[in-house]
Amino acid sequence: MAVELSPKMQAFTQEVFPAIIGTNRKDGSVEMVPVWFEQKDGSFWINGGINRGWFKHLQRDPRITLLLIDPKNMWRWAQVEGRMVNWADDPGGDHINHLSHRYMGRDYQNPRTGRIKIQIEPLRVTGAIDGWR
Amino acid sequence: MAGAKKAPALGPAVRKLAALPILIVVATKRDDGSVQLNPVWFMLEDGFIWLNSNTKRTWPKNLQRDREVTMLLVDPKQPNRYAQIRGRLVSLIPDPKHEFIDRLARRYTGKDFRVLEPDEHRVTLKIQPVVVTGDMI
Repeated sequence: MAVELSPKMQAFTQEVFPAIIGTNRKDGSVEMVPVWFEQKDGSFWINGGINRGWFKHLQRDPRITLLLIDPKNMWRWAQVEGRMVNWADDPGGDHINHLSHRYMGRDYQNPRTGRIKIQIEPLRVTGAIDGWR
Repeated sequence: MAGAKKAPALGPAVRKLAALPILIVVATKRDDGSVQLNPVWFMLEDGFIWLNSNTKRTWPKNLQRDREVTMLLVDPKQPNRYAQIRGRLVSLIPDPKHEFIDRLARRYTGKDFRVLEPDEHRVTLKIQPVVVTGDMI
C-alpha cells in the first residue's frame, strides 16, 4: 500500500537534485543511476529513453528504490522504497521538458522522441529527513 | 558477475572524485530481493574500496550474504556525472579498537569517531571493484 509523504518529505522532494534509483538486474545485481524526478500528489515521476536498462528491469520487476540526498549536505537524505505503478509514452517530450525546466531552468536540449514517463508509488520512507525508522 | 577476470583499475576521473569527502551510495539486496540504498563513508586505498559499519545495520548483513554490491559516486558539482562500481566483498575485518572508523571520521569530519555505544561493534568491509560503468571511466 502506498504511504503518504510527511510534510517534511513533501518539502524535501521539492528541492532540486537528482534521485539515485536502484533497480534489479536479471542476474540479481543492482543497477544504480542518477535521474531527474518530480514528486506530485504523493507519487514520484521519472523520465527515460524507452531502451534504458533500468526501464527494462522495472518491466520485469516493478520494485524500485530512490535515494534522495542533498548534494550540499550529505546528512540530509531519504530512502524511498517504491513500485512502478504506471508508465506511458511522453509524446513530444512534454514531460522531459517539464523536468528540464525544474532542473535546468530551460527547454530540454536533447531529442524529445522515444521517451517514457514513469509513475512510482512510495511504499516506505526511511532515512534522516523523517527521523530514523 | 562471472566472467570478470581481472579487476579494473579505477580511472583518474573516478580516483579524483573518490578523493573528495563525499559519500558513496551502497546498494544491497534485502532478504525479499528489494533494493536497499545507503549513503555511507568510504575510502579508496590500494585499489580497494573500504567501508565501515555498525554490525547491527542491515546493509552489511545483506552484503555478507551476497558478497556482491553496487556502489555509486556522483560528482557533487555536476550530478549528471557519475561512476557506478560493481564490486565483490573480499573481506570483513573486525574493528574492535575503532581504528578504521576513526580514520574515516577524520577524513569526513576532521575528528575521531564518536565514542562507541556499549554494545556497538564496528566492522570494516574491503571491496574489490569488478566493473566500472558510467560517464567517468
